[in-house]
Amino acid sequence: MQIKVKCSCGEKCPEWAIVELQGVVDVQPQFQDRLQNLEIGQLCRPSSQEVYTFTVGYHELTGSKVPLKKPLLVLKKVKRSDVDRSGGDEDSARVELEVIGIIRHRILFKTRPKALISKPQSTVKERAGASDSIVPIK
Amino acid sequence: MEEPCLGHTGAEAVLNLQSNSTIFIAYHPHFGSHDDIMLLELDEKLLPDVLHQRVVVRGQPDEDSVLCTQSKTYAIKFVGTSNSVFLVPPSDQSEFSDNTVENQQVVASVFKVAPGSMELTEVAPKLDKLKMLLFENPYRAEEDTEMEDLEAINKGLYKWDDLVDMVQASDDELRSGLQALSAVEIDGYWRVVDEKYMDMLLRMLLHSSVLNDWSLDALNEDEVVNVLQSDGFPCKLAEHCLHVYGNKVDSGCVWKLNERTVCVHFAREILRGEKRKMESFMEEWMRKIPEGMQASFDMLEGEVLTERHGVNTWVHAFSVSSLPSAPAERFSILFKERPKWEWKDLEPYIRDLNVPGLSLEGLLLKFTRRTQPTMDKQPVFSAR
Repeated sequence: MQIKVKCSCGEKCPEWAIVELQGVVDVQPQFQDRLQNLEIGQLCRPSSQEVYTFTVGYHELTGSKVPLKKPLLVLKKVKRSDVDRSGGDEDSARVELEVIGIIRHRILFKTRPKALISKPQSTVKERAGASDSIVPIK
Repeated sequence: MEEPCLGHTGAEAVLNLQSNSTIFIAYHPHFGSHDDIMLLELDEKLLPDVLHQRVVVRGQPDEDSVLCTQSKTYAIKFVGTSNSVFLVPPSDQSEFSDNTVENQQVVASVFKVAPGSMELTEVAPKLDKLKMLLFENPYRAEEDTEMEDLEAINKGLYKWDDLVDMVQASDDELRSGLQALSAVEIDGYWRVVDEKYMDMLLRMLLHSSVLNDWSLDALNEDEVVNVLQSDGFPCKLAEHCLHVYGNKVDSGCVWKLNERTVCVHFAREILRGEKRKMESFMEEWMRKIPEGMQASFDMLEGEVLTERHGVNTWVHAFSVSSLPSAPAERFSILFKERPKWEWKDLEPYIRDLNVPGLSLEGLLLKFTRRTQPTMDKQPVFSAR
């Protein structure tokens, strides 16, 4: 059996993106079966560096944009019924793999999440250090 | 870089996120498991082949699929991940598009969480299956005359399109595999020709050369084919005989018989099904070889093995072409034939092994135990 790998995009394959984090994102039980359109979190690029934060609920992840060592192709399995082929093909449908995109970068969050709940504490710290003129706020 | 534009709702928004900005990541309106969408990791150098539709996945339902380019074969392995890999399609792909812009906020939508991706490793083509298929129904002498019982004859016959469907090899590898088996396309079917039939053809060719005073170094294709046809051989097989036992001289229609191929053929004929004492074998071999050709025992490297029993040396057929091409099976048969091998005997039986990424030394390390009693002695290889 042969499965042809088709590509209609020529050289200009649409680029997809990956946002990758360790572990899983748990969805609250009431949304379990209607994930569609549900917000996962906010992706922020705080500076001009390739450093990103991803805020999911009360957790903040810090990560970076990394190029993939090898590109990933996004393939879609397509069943094509041979309408134009006369002579009654015994196979009802022919399977093809269609290249629908390419991925070259991912935004990778490989650190443990920081709990944003601890924020009040940090403001306390900031206030304590306020006498020392400038305090870096992270 | 594209200019930042509010309202980008896909991968672009993620990949081109400007400094000091924030976007929402949300589940796509059509978020789901989407098992029909998968990721394939591949080398940059293979990309043009894929984008120009020169690759194909081959395999029967019970086989592990391979991906073939024009010239190479790659095993496909699924590698899972425990990370959450959120896939974000670009906004301009209509089937995945999602034009929600909530309160002027940019939202990038996750279409699927990828459980992992497929990776490729170059592998040797699975040509043993090709051999098995073609030997189901070799071309035999009876076929020259009998044409009635098509039903029976068509069993075990394969066209090119059947072979690419059934054999896990790239087109180039399949073509050289067919050549290595001396296969010929007859009436659209790829066939190997029965050894006895080839023997008949070759003898007739040599006989005709003597009768017509042809030089074995300069055989005219048209003359040869005409004469063999008048002897009842089909044109295609007469041509095939020249391809198997000869080489084309220049670009014309002149052929020179290949001394080694012809000599090996007669040695195989003598040893078919029996072992012979060296002297009697050599005597008969020399007698069978056409005039003007010189046979030497070196030619039989990878074709015969010798063993000493008392004062006598015996020789028997053991052809590398009859052995499997998968290294583990090859070595297992070799050590069944002979528990200990010297390098000079072993080398002809393993030099054709092709394992991408593994050298011959690597193969020896993996499948053999090397012993060398003293430094001045030849190393001996035995099973691990």
